[in-house]
Amino acid sequence: MSSRTGKPPIHSAAWRISLWATLAFTCGTIVVFIFLDRFVANDIQRRSDAWLSGEVEVLGDVAERTPNDALYNRVVGEVAELASREVPEKSASQEAPNDSVFFIQADKNGALKLWVGAGDGQERLQAIQAYKLGASGPVSIRVRGYTTPFRVASDTMGDGARVYLGLSERDQRRVILNLRVRFFVLWLSLVLLGFAIVFFTSRRTLSHVRNITDAASHIGESDLKMRVPTSSRNDEISQLGDTLNRMLDRIENSVHQLHTITDSLAHDLRSPLTAIRGKLETSLALQDAEQAEPVVAAIEELDRLTDFLNKSLDVAEAKADALRLNPGPIDLDELLRSTIDLYEPSMNERGIRIRLHSAAPVQIVGDAGLIHRMVANLFDNELKHLPSGCSVDIYLQKHEEEARLTLRDNGPGFDPDVREQLFTKAVKGKRSSGHGLGLAFVDAVVRAHSGRVRADNMEAGGASIVLSLPLAAHEPEPMPTARAG
Amino acid sequence: MRLLMVEDEHDIQSFLQQALAEAGYSVDVAPDGRAAETLAKNNKYDILIVDLGLPDQDGITLITRLRQLGVQAPVLILSARRSIDDRVRGLEQGGDDYLTKPFALAELLARLRNLLKRNAPPGSELTRLRVQDLELDLLRREAIRSGQTLQLTPQEFVLLEYLCRNAGRVVTRSMILDKVWGMRIQPDTNVVDVHIYRLRGKVDGNGQAPLIRTLRGVGYVLQDR
Repeated sequence: MSSRTGKPPIHSAAWRISLWATLAFTCGTIVVFIFLDRFVANDIQRRSDAWLSGEVEVLGDVAERTPNDALYNRVVGEVAELASREVPEKSASQEAPNDSVFFIQADKNGALKLWVGAGDGQERLQAIQAYKLGASGPVSIRVRGYTTPFRVASDTMGDGARVYLGLSERDQRRVILNLRVRFFVLWLSLVLLGFAIVFFTSRRTLSHVRNITDAASHIGESDLKMRVPTSSRNDEISQLGDTLNRMLDRIENSVHQLHTITDSLAHDLRSPLTAIRGKLETSLALQDAEQAEPVVAAIEELDRLTDFLNKSLDVAEAKADALRLNPGPIDLDELLRSTIDLYEPSMNERGIRIRLHSAAPVQIVGDAGLIHRMVANLFDNELKHLPSGCSVDIYLQKHEEEARLTLRDNGPGFDPDVREQLFTKAVKGKRSSGHGLGLAFVDAVVRAHSGRVRADNMEAGGASIVLSLPLAAHEPEPMPTARAG
Repeated sequence: MRLLMVEDEHDIQSFLQQALAEAGYSVDVAPDGRAAETLAKNNKYDILIVDLGLPDQDGITLITRLRQLGVQAPVLILSARRSIDDRVRGLEQGGDDYLTKPFALAELLARLRNLLKRNAPPGSELTRLRVQDLELDLLRREAIRSGQTLQLTPQEFVLLEYLCRNAGRVVTRSMILDKVWGMRIQPDTNVVDVHIYRLRGKVDGNGQAPLIRTLRGVGYVLQDR
C-alpha cells in the first residue's frame, strides 16, 4: 500500500491525524489510569489499616488478659505469630514471612517487654517511639534496613503499657506494582492498536481524496471531458467528488460555450474572407500590371486581417485557459535552427546579426503549429523593431525540468510606456507598426503549454525575452514526423 | 478530371467553379449533403471537395456515407473552423487532405494535384529535373544552368527543387514555408521574398531570361516555357 506519489508516510495527513488522535487518546487514558491507581492504592491501604487496627486491639486484649507469668511471653508471642499469618495481600512465595510483620509490647515506661518478629526489637521500638503515636489510626514508619516503610498501629492497655503491631507495606506495593505493570502493557497495546487503526483508516479515506486530486489535476492539464472518480457511498469524500464533477461540468460547459463562440465567429468571418479573396484572385488574372497593384494590396491586407483574426481568437481562448492543443514531440533546437535559416537572409539584409547558442536537442511536448507560429512571432518582432547594426543572441538551455529560451538584443529595448503591459492584448509601442498582438500571442501560447515568459529591458541596454517551457517527461519514442520534405 | 464540389456558400461556389474550370476540371456543384449523395451515386468522380459546415449535415458524416456507398475518390476537406477535428485527422491519415479557409487558389490547386498524384500508380522516382535550360541533379544536389554549375546553399537547392517540381504552376509563400522549412506559419515580414530574391540572383544572374517570376499577391512561378 505504498503511496503512489512516492511521498514518505511521515509527511502525509494520515500520519498527522493519527499522531494527534493518539496523543489525545494517550492523555485521556493517562488521566483515567492515575485516578484508578489512586483509588486502588487507597482501598488497599484502607483494608490493611482496618486489619491492623482490629488485630492490634485483639492482641492488646490478649496481652492484658494473659496472666503475667512465665508463659506470658510464649502465649502472646504465639498469638502474634498467628496474626501475622493472616496478613492481607501476602505473597505466597514469601521466604521469610516474619520480616513483614512484627509485634512489640512495651511497658508503661516505654521499655521493650515482648518482641515478635525479625531483627532487633529495641531498635524498632525506638523508631516507633520517635513518631509519638497517638490513639488514632495506623501510621507509616520508616525503619533502618528496610526500603519500604511499615504501617504501625498501637493500642494502650489498662496499665499504661502499649502494644504495637507493624506491617510492612512491601506486599501492598507489590500488588499495586503488579497492577500497574499489567495496566501499562494493556494501555501501550491499546495506544498502538488505536494508532494503527486511526492511521490505516484515515490513510484509506485520504487515499480516496488523493485519487480525486490526482484525477482533478490531470483533468486540468489535458482533457475536460474526464471526471474524478466517485463512489456509491454517500459520504463526505464521494460528495467532494460529486461537487468537483458538477464544477467540471460547468467549466466544460463554459469552455464549450467559448469554443462555440470563437468557432462561429471564425466561421462567420472566414467564409466571406474566402469569397472576397477568391474573387480578388480571379480578378487579378484578368488585370494588367498597373491595375493589379490595388488588388494585390487588398489581398495582402486580407491576409493580415486573417492572421489578426486567428491570433485574436487564440489569445482570447488562451486567456480563458481554453486553447485547444494537438500535442506532439518538438525539438526546440531543430526548430530554432530552421527558423534562423529562414530569417537570417532577411536579418542580414537589414544589417542585423543573429547567433544561436544551443548545444544539444531540447525536447518538449507541444502543439507544433502554435509553437512554430510563436517562435516566428518572436523573430518577426526582432526583425521589425531592431535598427541596422544590432545583433540578436538566442540561447537555448535545459534548466532543471524546463527548456529555457532566451532572446537578447542590443537594440533600443521596449518602449518604457508599454513595458508594464507587454503581454496585454493590443498594447504596442509608438514606433511599432504591428497590430499589438505579437507578445500577447507569445504569452498565450507559452501559458497554454504550462510555461512562463518574461520580458524586460537589460541594464546594459537592449531587450531580453525569456521563455520557460516544461521539458518532455521522457525521451520521446521514435515517432514518424508529419513533416514533408 | 471530374470533380464534385460540396459547398453551400454561393460566393465561394462561384469563384471556385470558375477557377477550377480554368484549371481543367469539369465541376459539378452540390449545395448540400443530400444533393452530393445523389450526384455521387449517379456519376463517377476523380476527386471531391467537401466543406465541413454543410446546412443539412456534417461534412465528415457525408464523407463516411460516401465511402460506404463505394466512392473511392480522394477528398479535399475545406473548413472555416478553428480546431481540426480528430476525425479530420483520421481522414488525413487515410489519404485525404485538409485546407483551412481562407486559402489561396494556388494552394487549393496544388493540393488537388497532390491528392490525384497520391492515388495514381507510383512511377519511378526522378533523379533529374529539367526546366528549360535549368537542370537539377537530385542525387548530387547540383543545379546547372546553361552548362554552368550554380553555387547554391543546401536550403537554396531545396527551394529551387520545390519550384522546379511545380514548374509552370503558382506556389504561394505559405506552401513554400510548409514544404521547404516544414512550418505552417504566417510571418508578417517578407522572409520568403528575401530567399527568393537571393535565389533569383544566382539562377537568373548572368543576364539570362528570368526563370523565377513573382506574381504579386499570389506567389511565385518557375516558368517552364
